Parts: sequence; C-alpha cells; structure tokens
Amino acid sequence: MESRRSFLGRCGAGAATLTALGAWPGLTEGGAPDPAKLAELSSFALDRATKAGASYADIRINRYRNQAVTFRTQVDRATGKPVEVPSVADTVSFGFGLRVIADGAWGFSASSEVTKDAIAQAVLDAVAIARANAPLRRDPVKLAPTPAYRDVYRTPTNVDPFTIPIEQKLELLRSVATEARKVNGVFSVTSFIAARLEDRFFASTEGSVIEQHVIQIAPEFTATVVEAGRKVKSRTYRPDSVCSGYEAVERASLFYNAQRVAEEAVAHLKAPSVEPGVKDLVLLPTHLALTIHESIGHSTELDRALGYEANYAGTSFLTTDKLGKFRVGSDMVNFNGDRIRPESLSTCGYDDDGVKTRQFPIIKDGIFVGYQTTRDQAHLIGQAESMGCCYADNYASVPFQRMPNVWLEPSKTQVTLDDLVSGVEDGILIDGRGSYSIDQQRYNFQFGGDAFWEIKNGKVKGMVADVAYQSRTPDFWASCDGIGGDALWQNVGLSADGKGQPAQVNAMSHGCSPSRFRRVNVLRTA
Amino acid sequence: MSWTREQTRALADRILSFSKAPECELSLRLAEDGHTRFAANDITTSGTSRTMTIGITSRRDGLSGSTTVDEIDDASLKEAVERSEALMAAGRPDPEQVEPLGPQTYPVIPAFDEATSRAGALERRDGVKAALDRARGRGLDASGFFENGAQWSAVANKKGNFGYHRSTSAGYSTTMRTSDGTGSGYAAFNAPKLADFDPAALAEIAAIKAETSSRPRDLPPGKYPVILEPEAVADLLGGLAFALNARLADEGRSFVSKPGGGTRLGEKLFADGVALRSDPFDPRSPGNPWVGGGGGRGGLGFGGFGGGGGGGLPAQRTTWIEDGVVKTFAVDRFWAGKTKVEPVPFSGSLVMDGSKQTLAELIAGTERALLVTRFWYIRVVNPQNATVTGLTRDGVWLVEKGKIVHPVTNFRFNDSPVNLLKNLEATSAPVPAGGMIVPAIRAKDFLFTSKSDAV
Repeated sequence: MESRRSFLGRCGAGAATLTALGAWPGLTEGGAPDPAKLAELSSFALDRATKAGASYADIRINRYRNQAVTFRTQVDRATGKPVEVPSVADTVSFGFGLRVIADGAWGFSASSEVTKDAIAQAVLDAVAIARANAPLRRDPVKLAPTPAYRDVYRTPTNVDPFTIPIEQKLELLRSVATEARKVNGVFSVTSFIAARLEDRFFASTEGSVIEQHVIQIAPEFTATVVEAGRKVKSRTYRPDSVCSGYEAVERASLFYNAQRVAEEAVAHLKAPSVEPGVKDLVLLPTHLALTIHESIGHSTELDRALGYEANYAGTSFLTTDKLGKFRVGSDMVNFNGDRIRPESLSTCGYDDDGVKTRQFPIIKDGIFVGYQTTRDQAHLIGQAESMGCCYADNYASVPFQRMPNVWLEPSKTQVTLDDLVSGVEDGILIDGRGSYSIDQQRYNFQFGGDAFWEIKNGKVKGMVADVAYQSRTPDFWASCDGIGGDALWQNVGLSADGKGQPAQVNAMSHGCSPSRFRRVNVLRTA
Repeated sequence: MSWTREQTRALADRILSFSKAPECELSLRLAEDGHTRFAANDITTSGTSRTMTIGITSRRDGLSGSTTVDEIDDASLKEAVERSEALMAAGRPDPEQVEPLGPQTYPVIPAFDEATSRAGALERRDGVKAALDRARGRGLDASGFFENGAQWSAVANKKGNFGYHRSTSAGYSTTMRTSDGTGSGYAAFNAPKLADFDPAALAEIAAIKAETSSRPRDLPPGKYPVILEPEAVADLLGGLAFALNARLADEGRSFVSKPGGGTRLGEKLFADGVALRSDPFDPRSPGNPWVGGGGGRGGLGFGGFGGGGGGGLPAQRTTWIEDGVVKTFAVDRFWAGKTKVEPVPFSGSLVMDGSKQTLAELIAGTERALLVTRFWYIRVVNPQNATVTGLTRDGVWLVEKGKIVHPVTNFRFNDSPVNLLKNLEATSAPVPAGGMIVPAIRAKDFLFTSKSDAV
C-alpha cells in the first residue's frame, strides 16, 4: 500500500524545504503525481472493472489544491481605529472516483484512499450498485462515441500563483484596504486572492489516458458603507476570475481601483432610491454575465430539458421540441458554448467523459439551436456526439452535465458604450452583481446589481440605489436592441454555480459586451 | 469503515505530537455516503464514497495557518502539520483571534443508527421503485433523490480539548410532474434513521400534488393571506435565524439593528406565540455536540476559514424568539469578549413552536388563502428589513371557506420573514422539514409581486 505522500514525494524535496509555500513538494504544477504511477493504478482499476462485468469504466484520480488569502479591515466602532484581520488557508484533497456501466446502468464509487486495495473494493461496489439499479432502468445507458485520446493539457500560465509568497499576497490586499479606507465613510473592506489547482487524471476502458492541470485564479475586493440600522451599501471590484497564472492578479490593478470603488460605495449609500417603472437598461459585462448565466446558460442545459434536474435545480422552458425553432432573442443575439476559449473558467482539454472540448452554437440570430450535452445524453435528442460538457467538482462526485463557458457574441461593428447610452431617454446603467433570483424553468427573473446610474436623455447622470429589474427570459432577450463591439467584450468568470444531488459547484465564464434592453420593469427594493 | 472514540483520540494525539506551534487545532471527519438519483422515470446516477478530511490549524501570537490532509500515515500527517505551520509563519497577526478552548464537556447526542450506516443501493431501491411505479402507472414523470450516510467526527487541540461524535443521516425527496407539463408536486423527508422513512407515502403526496396542481388558473399579483406548508416555512426561516447575530446587530447591519445605533433585543417584533429555538437534542433533527470549528472567530461556525478548528463551545438549547419577543442573539467568542457578554453559540437544529392541529385542520379553518408547497431561489433584497425575493414551486392552490378550490399559477414574492411572523395567525403541529422542525403557518398580507410561468 503506497501512501499519497510517497508517490508525491518522488517528485520533489521533503517538507523541510518549506520556506515559501510555493515550494511545496509535488503540489505545484509540474510536481503533480507521477503519471506512470497513476497509469498503473488506472490500468488495474479498468482491468478489474472489465473482469467484474462492466461494459464500460472510467477512473479519475484527482488532486485539488485551494488557496484562499483573505484580508478584512474595518472600523472598530468603540475606538474609531481600523482593525486588520488576515486569514490564510491552503487545502489539499486527493482521491479517485470510478464509474462503471454494468447491466446497462451506471454505478459509481470513490475513496480518498488511493491504493490498489481501495480501488479493488470500489470496483466491486460500483458494479454492485449498477446491478442493483439495473432492474429499474427502462433503457440501457448509451454513450455517444468518442475517439480514445492520450494527451496532456495544462492551463497556459506565465506565473504559477502558488509560487507567489503568501506575504506578497497579503501585502497587496493590505495596500488595497488601506487605500480604500482613506475614503471617508468606508466601514469595511474585504478582499481575497483565491487560487485553485485541479490535477486531473482520466483513463477509460475505451483507451483514453488524459492528464490535465487546470489553474483558476480570482482576485476581488469589496468596500462596504453602513448607516447603522438604516442602510448598508457596498461596491465590489471583481476584475478577472480566470484560468490563468498570477499575471491575472498583476494586470487587475487592484490598488489603482481601490479609491474609485470606495468612493462609489459611499456614493451608493447617499444615492436616492430609483423611481420604479418601465425603463431601458444598459448592462455592463460584469453585471450582464450573471444574467446570461441564469437565463441562457441554465435554460440550454439538456439535463434540465430532459427533467434530470426536476427534483432540485429545475427544468427548462427550452424543451426539446423547441430546438432549432424557438426564438429566444432578437436577431442580433448570438450565444456560443465552449470549453476552449483562452482564460475562460470552464476551459480545459477534455471533459470528464474523456471528450475533447470544443465550441458550439447555442443561440443563432436569436433562435435556440444547441444544447449543452454529455455522452449519455446526446442520443436522447438524436445527436451523434457529445458537446463535451461533463464535469465533476471532486474525485468523490459523480460526473454529469455542467455548464460550459456560454458567451454573447459582440456586435460586428464597433458599437461603443456612448452609442448604447445615447439612444436611451429614461434608463439605468448597471454594473456588477447584486441579488439574483430566477424560477426553476428560467422564465421569471428578478436581478439586482452592484451599482446603478440613471440615464436621462442619452446621458449618464448620478447614481441611484435600490434597483432591481424583473422580466421573463424570452421577452428580455427579444428586447435587446444594442450590443457593444468586440473592443468592449469582457470575459467574466463565475466560480460557484450549484447544481445536482448531491450538490456540486462549477466555474465558467460568460463573456459579453455592454448591451441595451428596452422597456424592462424596474422595481424599487427599499 | 468506522472510527471509535479511542481510535479517533489516538489519531488526534498522533497528529498533535507533530506540532511545534504553541497551539494546534484539529477537525477530523470520516464519511461514508451513498445515493440513488432518479429522473425522467428512470434511475440516473447512483454511487458511494468514502472520504476522510483532517483539518489542521496552527496558531502562534495571533498568527494562524490552516490546511487539510486526507491520509493518515505518519509522514503525510507530519508534512501537513508542517505545512500549516509554514502558512502560519507567512501570515499576519489576526487581532480577532481568541484563545483555543481548554477541555470542554460536550453533550452526548445519540444520532447513529447501524442499519442506516450499512444501507446501500439495494436498501434504497424499494424507495426509488415506489416513486417510479407510481409515476409510470399514472402518466406522471418522477424524479428524486434518496441518500444515506454515516459520519464520524472529532475535534481536538493542544490544550487538551477533545470531542467525538458519530451520526447517520438520510434524505428522500421526489418531484412528480404531469405529462402536459402544467402540474408539479414535491415531498421530502430527512431523518437520522432509514427506518423512519415511508417513501411510498412521500411519492403519493408528490403524485397527488402534481395531479391537483395541473392546469392552474392565473390570479393577479398582490397581497394575499397564505398558508405556508412546513417546507415553505423552513425555506424562509433559515436566513431570519442567521440575522439574529449580536455582531451584525451591533454593527447596524441587521433587521434587529436600530436606526442610529443599538439593537432590538428584547423587543416584540413578531405575533403573540411566535417561538423559535435551537434544540440540538431533538431526536428528529439532532445537532452536533460542538458548534463550529473553534477557528479564529471563536466558534460560531461562520467567519472562520479553512479546515482547521479545535472544537467550539458545547451545543446548547437556546431560545431565540419567545412569544414574539427577540430573546437572544448568537454571540461568537471574540465579540462576546469585546462587548463583555457571555458567548452564545448558534446550535442549529431550529425548532419553531406550533399548535396541535394538522395541516388539513388548518386549511379547514381558513376563510381564504393561497396554500404554498415550497419556495425556490430565495435571495436577500434588503438586509435592513430582511426582505427577500423568491418564487413558489410545486403547487399553489386557492383555499376558500376551508376547502381547496383550484390550483393557481406560481408567483414571485418580495416580502420579509419578519413581516410573515408579525402577520402570523395560526399554525399546525411542527414536523421535520428542510433540516428544521417547523409547523405550517397561516399569515395575512404576503406580497406576491409577479406571476411566474414556470411549473
């Protein structure tokens, strides 16, 4: 029985060398578990599964590292002095998950003990589960074909974020907090730099052996202003949540945005409540991304359309009879799904079915044309191949259909923000995320935001507060009559989408340009 | 797989023996979980997992570093402890850290059932079959989730504190939809013991709800008297309980903050008879013997980071609201020290008092109301008055003169659980729902703001 440490250890020095955390042996990219050892374990697993009667099997042997460096500063109301509260956590988990198809049904077993003994037991368990459930299946599981791949994929990075010393990250966050706190009225500043590394190893009985190393990084800070017992308002700077190295933090210019963001938080508190009514909206990418996620991203998931999520996340108004026919938006609305776009959070080389990732159309000229799919779903809508949207958030989680990057194409001409705003007589310009709620079929939504500015007679005026807009997905996208050009297109990442039972999280990006929507119902929330 | 108290203590001692920091806090968890998922009248996924997580937090002079490890050979554990110490050394002092607790007397909370810990896909199959057979035979579309698991957990630190707990849990939920897509019903149950489950009865409730909620009629948005079934009550109460927190209140960030300063502790904010408690000893929804991970914020289980922890305060029965009056705020150990009050852990296991009548009797005694099965996608709109938005789901009906008259199209609401409990008129007997023990309630003037086409 070989421990994880022993086969991680062959990749580097011992713990005594720990001075900077980036120097952890075997835990940074390039020091991942020995692929030869993983290949040996996976061959053992797949061979055992085949002998146990599985018609198909795959194993994922994955390691996850999550580092969160956080910094909070706030005014102590008793003394009036600032208090600075740092926090550092850097966690690692490692294990395997094994899927089989036996007697036409899926079975799954996972363990944090990566040994041949544990794998042998997992094979028995997974096959037994499949056979226990097989009598209740109406039709056997059918997988869309995929070629077998032997490949290695790595997120392109310039600077491995785990090699940057904790001290440097804390100092950056402290400088941001100090700068933001100089703005009179700021109550607290919270900030973090989070990094995630997924070392994924996949092998299947169809012959694929795929090694992937995916790095995600997210810097962020929020300034909060409190009028005790009356109002709490905040402003968040969430520049780049991406698959990238530490260069994403460096280009984010956190420090140089600190004063502006803090001033906007104070202005938000002082801003008058919006006058509710039917108004035009101009939505900036950091806001529009979540609107896209909720209304278009989720409604075009095939598992929802088939009812697989009916007991939890819900179904979709885009039922399978609407594929290729139903108008979701105006002619200028074009959405693509992909897992290949550089820096997008869902981007990788292969999905957790072993399917090579790709780009595919979802909405074309306003018409719904494509679902997000996995290998065991494609045949259910008469399609010959999967779109590569299978993902499990942990070795111990069952892979299933998850949202890829879903992004809005920019206008073919260089439409500017001024162009969008100048066409609005009475409207609101919205930036950033606020309170979001949408129904279980993705029709009725009510979305807030992080900051709001009034638009009057084609000009952006002062901030307003307490804004939410409520609409219905097809009505909303049909009202889209302006999309910014590619110079304004921004790749906006979301890192914690929840779905499934047991619940899993997923990260993806929703790139878009600022866009204009006509005659939307605007509510006052206070 | 299982851990005894002695095995767990020996493991904790072994990890702590590698620690060179003045303080080291551990949280240990071993879990075996299994599930069967079904949808579109078929089994979809089913699996089992055995996972171990050991959280380690090292502390010195206000510095701390947290990490996790999931293997228990000496070399891996030693490496993980050294990792947490390296993180600690790289950090900055945290002025809000509190001293780890010395030895605590944790209550013994019986929550482990052998049969539930051993059950697998075969034991879950009949429960799944109950839903699939009903749906297939009645032209309905069934989906659902049946899970069971066992957990062994412990906390320990260098000051000699140690706690051990084992528990089992199980959950069954099913949604039935009509073939025309206009009706949907839902039923769910959670308990520590599989023997307490009746999947067939739950499947029947979901099927009846689906059939009777189909082809709903539109009603205009507006204020309505409502009867919220227990699932719907639980959906709204969690956020309310979370806001009953001393620090949030003192800092002016909660609905129990007073304009200009001070709090509403001791004020009557809700209707007569409204009572909300934590009871971690209720066998229907047992809690953990300790609260939170100990962590930097002192043991309330929120505000801390990472996988570390050394054991929080012992869980306790706490009355948050009594006869409509806000009686108690949760106070973490840091805030308690700063404001010179006793800490009050948030012990979870929420129980809302009710009456002795059944839901059917509550409906029978109602002149006019909308009966709501449950809510969906609830989000805070305004924390200062606890206003939230969300949608009804899986069945809304108009009740008139004690009878269910017809199904109603779903609504979006914008209202506050504070208003709901202020406007409360009647309750049923409390039952397990949404991880709590809550009654159905009838309240006036609940604000539905728009129609939702979703079913």
